[in-house]
Amino acid sequence: MDMTFDDTQTAIKDSCDRLFGRMAGPARARALGHVGGADLALAEALEEAGFLDLFAEEDAGPLVAALITEWAAKAAALVPVGARTLVAPTVIAGALPQIIAVCDAAHAGPVRYAAQADVVIQIDGDAAVIAQRGDFTVEPVASIFGYPMARISGLTGVRLGAGSGEAVRRWWQVALAAEIAGTARAALDQTIAYLQQRVQFGRQIASFQAVQHRLVDCHVSVESTAWAAREAAARGAPAALAAGAAITAVECAQRVFDETHQLSGAIGFTTEYDLYLWSMRLQTLRQECGGIRAHASALVASAWT
Amino acid sequence: MEFNWPDEDAQFRGELRDFLAATLPEDFDAFDMGARERDNFSRDFAKKLSTRGWLTPAWPKQYGGLEQSAWQQLILSEEMVGHGEPRTGQYMCVNWVGPAIILAGTDEQKDYHLGRISRGDVTWCQGFSEPDAGSDLASLRTSATRDGDDYILRGEKIWTSYAGVADFCFLLARSDPEAHRHRGISIFLVPTDAPGLTIREIPSVFREGTFNSCVFDEVRAPEAWRLGPEHGGWPIIRKLLANERVGVARYHRAETFLLKAVKVAKAAGIMDDPIISEALAKAKAACDAARVLVYQVVDERAKGRQPDLTAYVYRVAAIRCEKLVYEAALRVQGSDSVAPDSVAAGQFQHAVTAGVATGTLEMQLNLIARDIIGVAGA
Ligand SMILES: Cc1cc2nc3c(=O)[nH]c(=O)nc-3n(C[C@H](O)[C@H](O)[C@H](O)COP(=O)(O)OP(=O)(O)OC[C@H]3O[C@@H](n4cnc5c(N)ncnc54)[C@H](O)[C@@H]3O)c2cc1C
Repeated sequence: MDMTFDDTQTAIKDSCDRLFGRMAGPARARALGHVGGADLALAEALEEAGFLDLFAEEDAGPLVAALITEWAAKAAALVPVGARTLVAPTVIAGALPQIIAVCDAAHAGPVRYAAQADVVIQIDGDAAVIAQRGDFTVEPVASIFGYPMARISGLTGVRLGAGSGEAVRRWWQVALAAEIAGTARAALDQTIAYLQQRVQFGRQIASFQAVQHRLVDCHVSVESTAWAAREAAARGAPAALAAGAAITAVECAQRVFDETHQLSGAIGFTTEYDLYLWSMRLQTLRQECGGIRAHASALVASAWT
Repeated sequence: MEFNWPDEDAQFRGELRDFLAATLPEDFDAFDMGARERDNFSRDFAKKLSTRGWLTPAWPKQYGGLEQSAWQQLILSEEMVGHGEPRTGQYMCVNWVGPAIILAGTDEQKDYHLGRISRGDVTWCQGFSEPDAGSDLASLRTSATRDGDDYILRGEKIWTSYAGVADFCFLLARSDPEAHRHRGISIFLVPTDAPGLTIREIPSVFREGTFNSCVFDEVRAPEAWRLGPEHGGWPIIRKLLANERVGVARYHRAETFLLKAVKVAKAAGIMDDPIISEALAKAKAACDAARVLVYQVVDERAKGRQPDLTAYVYRVAAIRCEKLVYEAALRVQGSDSVAPDSVAAGQFQHAVTAGVATGTLEMQLNLIARDIIGVAGA
């Protein structure tokens, strides 16, 4: 056991930080938000740097893939990193396209990146179905919740064996938890920095203890989520840990959304301020993969039966 | 103590419902419209209300009112918000701009403004918040400097709803820079086409037209625009904002959204799912709690007292129910909630702004703490 990064992990973190610093971040997310769609340039750069294909690498593996997913989310990247680095490698062998969407036939709602995806991985009962672009129809949905979204219909594709649906679900839960951890972290950091300088009643708002406690509760939720995702990834996404990470993440998403917005006041709702670039995404992420209902039944079924 | 509605109140509610059913499209929600469309609609609708006396029913008869009771005002608010608030920003004129003018206006101001408001000819916006004065409103810095018989207004108001379409701005400005906080504040009734006033929309995550910034760059304000005594604006505001706090029967609107979520849940056959039924039931109970708490506030008003503590307690309960209805809608619709036409997306703005707009949650908590715990909240 070792809770600090080794040299390889540190090197990957440093170069990831540089890449996201150069190509992602709030200004980029805002610009893309106006045109819609995914960040294809960033996806290309991530792939070129090898950051999307670490799942099967001996000295990186799913843990580092989960970390990259978390960092990408923190940088407000508009690339489905989790789907590509954590979910797809478990069910698709060989080279993968950059933009991959994941969905569940049991939940008909809009799907992130569906209109941009080259491949859709759909859970259908206990099997996964792999569909190439052209094997499904998309209808874009103008969601305000931070991602390009579209409804999928008429999906056909290659149906994998029994248990593949379950594998997709487990890794999807881990990916979601990592994404929520990074997204919530950024929203919280932004809010703490703002409240440290925002003065009302002659004091910094962050100096009021009632405010501090709520921010700290958010911090604990984010830490819980980040570490739950890392452990679940490192251990190969066992069902109970994966679902547990997702549950922790969903509660984190709700808390961090509510508190960062409540404590930011009106400025949190304008698109001239950065908070929404992360916070609105939390509303999408907390509903994905069946939301709390599905995560709860998955945990109960795997942990105690 | 008793909980029965007298016949005339029940009858008023019935008449309102009949009128709204006949006048509005099914499932109408003014929040679905863009700012301009909404404003046009509400002006039209206000005229229809006005001809029945229902735009300003609580006002004195001499100013175009029906002298209805505080209870009937509550019924009016419930029925309006329960039907998508077709009056939109007009509710402000009715609830507190008009009453402020009745309370503190000169005869000329009453003559000029009250008829226009009660006929539904005008809309207003509320110029209170500033970039550096939000929850600490008394620290506002927009200045009104004497210049002969006039004042010169300088400063910026922000987050001003309806400013882009309103005819007038109910403005708070500091007329005495020396006086301590709320003591140096005056009220001005400013036409939004006044030279030097620039209104810019601030883009938001909600529908367009939600927020504006109003920059006062040397706006010349004749003394006749000042409402009430010079430097004496704050007591007027304090009195009238008690009306603002209960002005929107939030619990009733929230329950309208909850009913939509129930409809979806029934159609999906998931009402028996314990996670769904718990979320729906908690939201319903929270709406009922807010509703019964507002009765105390209305009772105090009906008896001529200023509701303070009861109003703050009600506000907190109302904020809770807005959030629980949103959560219930999310549970019911799951990943479908991100679609713009979902119940959750409709309730989203109400849920997330409930604790910020018209006095933040924390300010209510501080005021309640001061009252019930007795140690200064802040
Ligand atoms: C939808 C909407 C419509 C609005 N319409 C109008 C309008 O028409 N006209 C207008 O004038 N304004 C309007 N506002 C602005 C609103 O009045 C302000 O947002 C509100 O007063 C809070 O101010 P602020 O946003 O600057 O938050 P801040 O004052 O910066 O506060 C940020 C957070 O810190 C908390 N806080 C501050 N002090 C303390 C403390 N001592 N203890 C604990 N917590 C504290 C606050 O409660 C809040 O949660 C609107 C706002 C919204 C969201």
